[in-house]
Amino acid sequence: MDYQFDEDSQRLRARLREMIAMNFDSDFLGAWTDDPNDLVQTQRFCRLLADEGLLARAWPAEFGGGGGSVWEQTVVREEMWAHHEPRGAQYMGLNWVGPALIRFGTEAQRRQHLPSIAAGEVVWCQGFSEPEAGSDLASLRTRATPTDGGWLVSGQKIWTSYAEMAQWCVVAARTSTEGRKHEGITVFLVPMDGDGPTVRPIASMLGRHHLNEVFFDEVFVGPDSVLGEVNGGWAVIREALKFERVGIARYARCDRLLHLLREELGESWNDLPGGLRARWARALIHVRTARLLAYRVVAAQEAGTLTDADASIARVATTLCDQEVAEVLFEALGPRALDNATSSAAILHGAVEDHWRYAQAATIASGTIEIQRMLIARSVLAAGNR
Amino acid sequence: MNLELPDSAVDFGNSARGAFEAAGGVDLARRAEIDPRVRSNVIAPLLADLGALDVVLGTDSDTDAAAAELCRVAGAVGLPYPLVSVLSSPDGPQRPLALVAPAHPRAEHGDLFPDWLAAPLDGSRRWAATARGGVLGTRLGSFVADLRLGAEEGPVDVSGFVVLSAWRVLGTLERALQLVIEHVTSRRQFGAPLADLQSVQFQVADIAVHVQALRELARYTLSVRSASTSSRLSDALALRVSMIETATQVFRSSHQLHGAIGLCNEHDLSILDRVTQPALRQPAGLEATTDALLVSIETSGFDSLFGQSIHGSRA
Repeated sequence: MDYQFDEDSQRLRARLREMIAMNFDSDFLGAWTDDPNDLVQTQRFCRLLADEGLLARAWPAEFGGGGGSVWEQTVVREEMWAHHEPRGAQYMGLNWVGPALIRFGTEAQRRQHLPSIAAGEVVWCQGFSEPEAGSDLASLRTRATPTDGGWLVSGQKIWTSYAEMAQWCVVAARTSTEGRKHEGITVFLVPMDGDGPTVRPIASMLGRHHLNEVFFDEVFVGPDSVLGEVNGGWAVIREALKFERVGIARYARCDRLLHLLREELGESWNDLPGGLRARWARALIHVRTARLLAYRVVAAQEAGTLTDADASIARVATTLCDQEVAEVLFEALGPRALDNATSSAAILHGAVEDHWRYAQAATIASGTIEIQRMLIARSVLAAGNR
Repeated sequence: MNLELPDSAVDFGNSARGAFEAAGGVDLARRAEIDPRVRSNVIAPLLADLGALDVVLGTDSDTDAAAAELCRVAGAVGLPYPLVSVLSSPDGPQRPLALVAPAHPRAEHGDLFPDWLAAPLDGSRRWAATARGGVLGTRLGSFVADLRLGAEEGPVDVSGFVVLSAWRVLGTLERALQLVIEHVTSRRQFGAPLADLQSVQFQVADIAVHVQALRELARYTLSVRSASTSSRLSDALALRVSMIETATQVFRSSHQLHGAIGLCNEHDLSILDRVTQPALRQPAGLEATTDALLVSIETSGFDSLFGQSIHGSRA
């Protein structure tokens, strides 16, 4: 595979770093802190990115995108995640909602939704998981029943990030009980405002906005809200999850934090136990490897040859790397690891503490590591038997 | 940056694979353990016929790729010949390169050639070395022989050795994964193939992730060799660290999944594991290699998205 990081990509990386430095203080830790101004800043920054065609870099210009390559989009993804995602909640719309709309949406759906995502004007959330349907997503119970002029959606979703602020939700609902359970699911594009669903935040170690419950009580949606085919939602979900699995460039933040910490410790680096410095070096290697595996997926996406196994291999590597780096960084800080962004004594403004908390979710969110392993094994064993 | 091997290297590897398999595959190692002359009487002529001993690392990127692919294919059968030493030495087959721990200088197949070029893992020195007797003949050192270090000759670039060594081990580990798949899909327990058990599936998945990760890193390290000399050693040492970690994990899981049969000499996994151990232990294992990498990173850096922060500009 050919990793096409040309001069344009390098210029783009430099421009993004410049924009981040100009618009955020060095202590910025993302949109989900206790300071509401952080969220406001990210929304403003998204519009700046959109103005330069950088937000949806690889989308076609007709949908409000920048017409760039997937490699340029990869650069955007890396720089954003490395710098604590200054796009805030937008990454979900950009990483998989938009691509799923491009793949499965009608012309009208594309025209309605893609430009607003590309402009950073709208927040989407994902209504897949339910209390009784986590990894076994096809067991979902939320129902959509036909009614005059559309559908009525009833049920409960859970773990729904950004649901409080989202204007739209991609909802997977059961529309048939015939055949296998994967076959009776339909994906709907549901507005969250007006008479839409009710949202209840769930307090968690991850911080605000990451986890919510969403209740649908006969929420009406029109026939034009179906994404893909009626009862054909499983194909949409699989594709969306494939995009989502490689959407977050976790290795990029790991890379940045490992180097920032080394620099921050200065001479005291040599006081760390030799074994810990060795773990730091090995973490650097694992970050490099995770990046290479992610690039392999990008190349496969570009060629239209991406498999579940390739996406899952990259995801297993990068999520384990995320947790490994979190532990290495915490070990290096010792008792100071417990300080967070509110403490003036916090090393790197609490970035390590923030990373460690978020890393706990790495092997759970977007499909647990157990599901990734099942997908890999299924593919590897099938290929080996051919 | 294109990480795909050129067609010429792939074709060369396919020819070599065919020749190795026709000559017995892993049985070559079994035969050589009984009669070490198999290496010079059977394998050396076979490699000469392939033109393998004429490959000069560093000629161009296509040649480097051919050398790497040859080592990978050789690794898949545990070929008992010092291919990495010959291909990576600036003196070629006249004086193969051995990376040694100076206190215990040893080389795989050290008995096959009278004269050697020996160097420590960082290549900061090199010595003229000579063979010192026959092979150890132990179960894990079937083809390892002691060397005697002579005159010191100054530094040498050892990164080629380290990279080719990783390609060799990659080939071995890819074969181990194949053996695992064959075993867990054919071996039945409790009325079903082992592969039906989720704990087995998870181990297979983890092996696949490890092997794929090493493969990508090996391709990357090979491809950047020609672009930069400043980070060559760091890149090579990082690959070696990954190689040792991966081999340890893959062999461990492969044995576990095979059960007792994987420990038997009649099974290829046992042979491949045993003949690979010297490459993992000489000249240094995981921790000492990581130490060498840390030193190299401090002096030459480590290319990454934010790696430049070590040398000044803040990430």
